[in-house]
Amino acid sequence: MRRGKTAVLLLLILILLVVVVLSIGSGAVRVPPLSILRVLLHGIGIRSIELPPEMQLSIILHIRLPRVMAAMLVGAALAMGGVAMQGLFRNPMASPDILGVSTGASLGAVIAVTTGLFAVNVFFLPLLAIIGALIAATLIYLVSSYKGKTSLLFVVLAGLAISSLFNGLVSAILLFSQQYEVSQFIFWTMGGLEGRMWKHVLLPLPLLVPGMAVLFLFSRELNLFALGEESAHSLGMHVERTKRIILAITAVVTGLAISISGPIGFVGLLIPHLFRMLIGPDHRLLLPVSAVGGALFLLMSDLLGRILIPPFEIRVGIITAVLGSPYFLYLIIRYQRKGLRGFGYD
Amino acid sequence: MTENLIETRGITYSVAEKRIIDRISISVKRGEFVGLVGPNGAGKTTLLRLLIGVLPPTGGEILLEDRRLQEFRLRERARRVAYLSQETTTVFPYPVLDILLMGRYPFLGRFRRESESDLEKARRALAYVGLRGFEERYFNELSGGERQLVLFAKILVQETELLLLDEPTSNLDIKHQDQFFSMAFELTREKKAVVAAVHNLNIASQYCSRLILLHRGRVATEGKPEEVLRSDWLDPVYETKTVVTRNTSTGALVVDVAPRTRAGRQPMPLIHIIGGAGSAINLTRELVRRGYRISGGIAHEYDADQKLWQTLEIPSLVTGAFSHITTKDLEKAYTLVEEADLTVLCSFPIGPGNEGNLELAGHARRLVILEAGPREEPRLFFSPSARSDFSALAAKSEQMDYGRLCELLESGELFRGARKRRG
Repeated sequence: MRRGKTAVLLLLILILLVVVVLSIGSGAVRVPPLSILRVLLHGIGIRSIELPPEMQLSIILHIRLPRVMAAMLVGAALAMGGVAMQGLFRNPMASPDILGVSTGASLGAVIAVTTGLFAVNVFFLPLLAIIGALIAATLIYLVSSYKGKTSLLFVVLAGLAISSLFNGLVSAILLFSQQYEVSQFIFWTMGGLEGRMWKHVLLPLPLLVPGMAVLFLFSRELNLFALGEESAHSLGMHVERTKRIILAITAVVTGLAISISGPIGFVGLLIPHLFRMLIGPDHRLLLPVSAVGGALFLLMSDLLGRILIPPFEIRVGIITAVLGSPYFLYLIIRYQRKGLRGFGYD
Repeated sequence: MTENLIETRGITYSVAEKRIIDRISISVKRGEFVGLVGPNGAGKTTLLRLLIGVLPPTGGEILLEDRRLQEFRLRERARRVAYLSQETTTVFPYPVLDILLMGRYPFLGRFRRESESDLEKARRALAYVGLRGFEERYFNELSGGERQLVLFAKILVQETELLLLDEPTSNLDIKHQDQFFSMAFELTREKKAVVAAVHNLNIASQYCSRLILLHRGRVATEGKPEEVLRSDWLDPVYETKTVVTRNTSTGALVVDVAPRTRAGRQPMPLIHIIGGAGSAINLTRELVRRGYRISGGIAHEYDADQKLWQTLEIPSLVTGAFSHITTKDLEKAYTLVEEADLTVLCSFPIGPGNEGNLELAGHARRLVILEAGPREEPRLFFSPSARSDFSALAAKSEQMDYGRLCELLESGELFRGARKRRG
């Protein structure tokens, strides 16, 4: 049984590779898959393979590949963040964007951009994004550890309130700032992947990848949360400490992802939920599978946005919102009607 | 090293000035099965939470194996003490085997996967609780009882010397409840110790080696079940009137709440019950419940009916065990029967020892003879004179079975008819 579930992971990686090639190939200038494969194989050290012509190479290396990398990184990070938050709060409706962590990161990034700190040092953008995400995560932590029983919807509603507040602040800051640009406004409220270069991807990478790895190392603890906090404590887990660590790392990972792409919604909600139905709730498998699944989902959404109505692009944030919102609504209605049984859970 | 596995020294737990646990000092040895009993809000669950360390005491100290509980690293502690909370739901659909393996958490490093021996322990525990083959079933699709058993198996997988159980059987049926407690009892024979908060005093008395009766955060008393389960301890703690007896078939201690009279309304008719051999128990309870004034007798000492009348403080006449009813007994009884608006002769066997009761019944102002119902044994006679005297009596009185009498009591016809006849 477990072997079958691991196969899901391998299959996903395979599909992901295919979509990577498709993604690099599509766009205003078509690049044949063979050229892409040549570049990729050359890239992984097989130097004997001849590289495609200069223009194709340039498009692949400097335009398409960084964008593909950005999509995969952001998708993986947001999906893992969603898994962590759902596991932590034992709440299938939680995710970084629903609980306001994403908008917190956006707010930080916008402050970095409008105050000019970003111009002083590029590191200020991811740094402030992380700080914004951490502030939102702290608020959620305080709300959720408020004495008494917190219902599933209570945490979600509190998150939506936090999210709206930060969203309002983002809009206000952008509207009043002197270098007000429509494109900036759209980017930091809707999210997108257009124009993402290597610098956008590489800057957060040294922290993002270790962050995701650490989340994975906490998968056994995330499982223990399922028993309830008292039982988890009796089994020897530092419940509050673990909660704070996981929330903080989720905030860091989310903040970094959003510093790349702006706030992209619903990946963190949709993906964990989808794969939990497929392979079960064990976080040791759910986290890696969701990471690959999230990468795949965002890459496909971006590809869809690019090829749907050429020569125009639909922003990836719009695609995920269009796919995700109805799903979220459907979850809430099912929860209202059947309680948790509606999720196939108890 | 003392024998005590865990010991509390004057621990206190307060929330906002209110002491939920108030200077409790208890100790538990290996091989003991300690039941924490007491009414809702007495502090049973809080005490368990303090013992496991989920809550820190606001005063006093807890010693686990003679070391302060706080000095243990959480994982170290989890290898010594396991806790079964009242929470039995999970949000996500984990297979049973995954839940069981969570019990190995205190033994596994962050980078270690469960070994084959961990799996073996999980399977053995599952078989022990009688759920062999449930490994891949989803925990949240099981019944409440099965879930409780799985969680019990999970703490067995934890392999601790001390097990703390918080009302482990509150949603189990009697079979699972008994199974659960006998499994916990088995553990104490392996020199483990079990401390369980228990609501059901009867099951606690059967399995626990010691009971601790809690009252408003303090220990009211502790000791063997038969020492603790006494009305003089229980009544003030539970704020009700209890009756503690031994079940005559199983020998188990049975704690019940005494039936209570429905108070008020107009003065109720007086009914005299002639019983014996337990034949009057149902009728007595029913009449008490309905608020009738009752007297009883003549019954023999140690007779079940007599004991009930005694505990309910019903005026009754008693004669020596296994002796014949004497004329002196009868003379006293006549006054009771003559005062009663109605006398009921219950369906008990009649022989030389209690023949006098037939004579007593003859003095009744109004007599109802209860006959055996359709699913009951018919009345037995152990002497020829008993049979003939009874027939004579039956010829001039009303006869009905218990069910019919209850119907008449319910509708109120029983005494309406009587008044008319008298008038």
